[in-house]
Amino acid sequence: MNTDRIRQRTRRISRGIVVGLLGLLYALSLPVWASDTIVVGSKNFMESRLLAEMFAQLIEARTELTVTRRLGLAGTQVCFEALKTGGIDLYPEYTGTGLVTILGEPPMHDRVSVLNRVRTEFLHRWNIWWLAPLGFENSYALALRRDRAQSLGLRTISDLVRVAPHMKAGFGYEFIQREDGLAGLKKSYGLQFQEVIGMQQTLKYQATDKGEVDLLDVYTTDGRLAVYDFVVLKDDRQFFPPYEAAALVRGEILKRHPELGRVISLLTNAIDPTRMRELNLRIQEQGEPVPQVAHSALRALNLVADNHVQPAASTESRDSILSYMWTTRSNLALRTGEHLGLSGLGLFLGILVAIPLGLALERWRRGAEAIIRIIGMLQTIPSIALLAFMIPIFGVGALPAIMALWMYSLFPILRNTYSGLRDAAPNVVETGRALGMTEWQILRTIRLPLAAPTIMAGIRTSAIWTVGTATLAAFIGAGGLGVPIVAGLQLADVNLILSGALPATVLALSVDGLLSRVEQWARPRGLEPVR
Amino acid sequence: MNPWALEIQHVSKQFPDGTYALQNIEWGVKEGETMALIGESGSGKTTFLRLLNRLIEPTTGTVVIQGEPASAQDPIQLRRRLGYVPQDGGLFPHWTIRQNVCLVPHLLGWTLEQQLERVDMLLPLMNLNPSQIAERYPIELSGGQRQRVAVARALAADQPIVLLDEPFGALDPLTRHDLQDQFLSLQARLQKTMVLVTHDMSEAFRLGDRITILKEGCIQQVGTPHQILHAPATPYVHLLVQHYHAHRG
Repeated sequence: MNTDRIRQRTRRISRGIVVGLLGLLYALSLPVWASDTIVVGSKNFMESRLLAEMFAQLIEARTELTVTRRLGLAGTQVCFEALKTGGIDLYPEYTGTGLVTILGEPPMHDRVSVLNRVRTEFLHRWNIWWLAPLGFENSYALALRRDRAQSLGLRTISDLVRVAPHMKAGFGYEFIQREDGLAGLKKSYGLQFQEVIGMQQTLKYQATDKGEVDLLDVYTTDGRLAVYDFVVLKDDRQFFPPYEAAALVRGEILKRHPELGRVISLLTNAIDPTRMRELNLRIQEQGEPVPQVAHSALRALNLVADNHVQPAASTESRDSILSYMWTTRSNLALRTGEHLGLSGLGLFLGILVAIPLGLALERWRRGAEAIIRIIGMLQTIPSIALLAFMIPIFGVGALPAIMALWMYSLFPILRNTYSGLRDAAPNVVETGRALGMTEWQILRTIRLPLAAPTIMAGIRTSAIWTVGTATLAAFIGAGGLGVPIVAGLQLADVNLILSGALPATVLALSVDGLLSRVEQWARPRGLEPVR
Repeated sequence: MNPWALEIQHVSKQFPDGTYALQNIEWGVKEGETMALIGESGSGKTTFLRLLNRLIEPTTGTVVIQGEPASAQDPIQLRRRLGYVPQDGGLFPHWTIRQNVCLVPHLLGWTLEQQLERVDMLLPLMNLNPSQIAERYPIELSGGQRQRVAVARALAADQPIVLLDEPFGALDPLTRHDLQDQFLSLQARLQKTMVLVTHDMSEAFRLGDRITILKEGCIQQVGTPHQILHAPATPYVHLLVQHYHAHRG
């Protein structure tokens, strides 16, 4: 009996060490928080990333401030929520989006009045500043291939009305939802399409190539308009509000670091639409890394010196996937470390809460089913939504991601702990009780050891789940292997996607393999079939 | 001196839904006697047994164990004085045979040496070879061997009273017969107070000094096998006896 107990204890200790190491690994990958750190955010499309990267490099080159990048946050809501709560200090935004999406006001059609309106309101409501516009608009527009447009004789959106019922439209998900997108467009022009297909922004152009959709919503600065030879239909009723790009900055940070405002203002009216389209094209089609394009754009404006561009690891994303991963190995190692840290910490906290809770519920069975069901409901929240819910509470970055992963990890562990303990050999439990064991002795020497394999199976399920879900953490700027995946999706760069997806898969498989070993190990002797 | 090792006075057990599992039971087992408790499933015999070791409490009435009301005794300490053998043995699958047998001595805080000594003494008594099986796990034993281990465990702390809940019910007829023989010779040597629940008339007649017949929560008759066979107290007992004869053919 004693050797058994010692074995159990060593198991428990070594399990603790493994988890502790994961936590440490994670802690090392956290940025050091300094008070003069500026956090630059961006949304999860390329132009937003590029502008944010330009802000970041400009601040680094021209101030003493340190910059942390939280690029690729999932959409306007996430970004703006992060800005309000101080998760990020600035990010590039468009005036039209500010008016319609954030303020929820009807579209206006004059550039200056839109800018004035959002400036006043943002300042008044949240002490958030719109700096001077950068010099271009990135409005929504409807576009189709030039040959299609010519054969149908389409020049304006009004022309479209008569042919639309025979057309398939491929629209971005945000566009479909927005009041200044599809809904308003239908009202304003009376448009009806044969079918509207929700599509990822980056995949749409290819889809028209194959003739699967006819019409797209596009951004007017999209570099691919030229590449795919698209015609933008004239917005003859001036439905689409102006979307001037500008930096959106927290007032507090401007007050603390006035130089920030001065530096960003160097970009006022510095980028015209043609230039923006060019820059986008270099990223989208030529596969140049965002930092490199940002640097060369700033250099062309004589805003930064010629040095400090690190030649990108590999601009040729047409390499074979393995050599691509080899050249980016240090970055991938970092991402893997972050990934393990996020999921490890989430899982660790999950174990820390779910097992004691399972133990408590086994004692208090009356409330057990209800509580387990409530926690099970957490599981049904789509991961991306859960991540988004975390932002108002925890800001952006690692913390909300860990909290979300923690919530996901609870249910399998809790359910298995509870049912494992409850269903552990009832006749054996009954016998132990009849022979004079206390409930505590029964728990410790019968229920727990017999439930250990079931509990481990729950932990294993949670582990695989958290490792898988942690790829989504990239959407809220928490890093991990989702970063190359998300970036790759935006660039339609298969190598980039795979360089995140492959390690993530390998990671999930190895965690599964490792934990199945632990599961075997946690299985008390005597339960195995005789060899 | 009180002749009863176990005594039940005016006990009824009512379930929350209002039905009675046991009704107005008056009953006693003498020191060193084997009492067989027989009845169909649902007759209340398991409830009966569980009253004795306080796994359930009576709705009314008193259970007296060795002259003292059970309700006045600490249930944990009480149970450690009452050996218990369930139908399926109830051995801890993750414990070795030695650990299983020593459960109650371990709970009582015996030294390891005392425990080992006890195992070496008890297993041979049950026709088991300690050097062969003491360090094995239950799954490696046959059903009959496991049941013997369960009996050894019930005797391990020299409990004066042993409760057996259909201890041989799940065994094949040959093994069952074998174990019944062993039970008899063991009982002849140890003179424990035993309560043996069974649904098998021939087992009751074979092992019991006296027999209690239960039906729907009421005692039909308590008596020696001879009394039961020759003076059945109720039509139900009469029927049972007839069946018994028919069965023996």
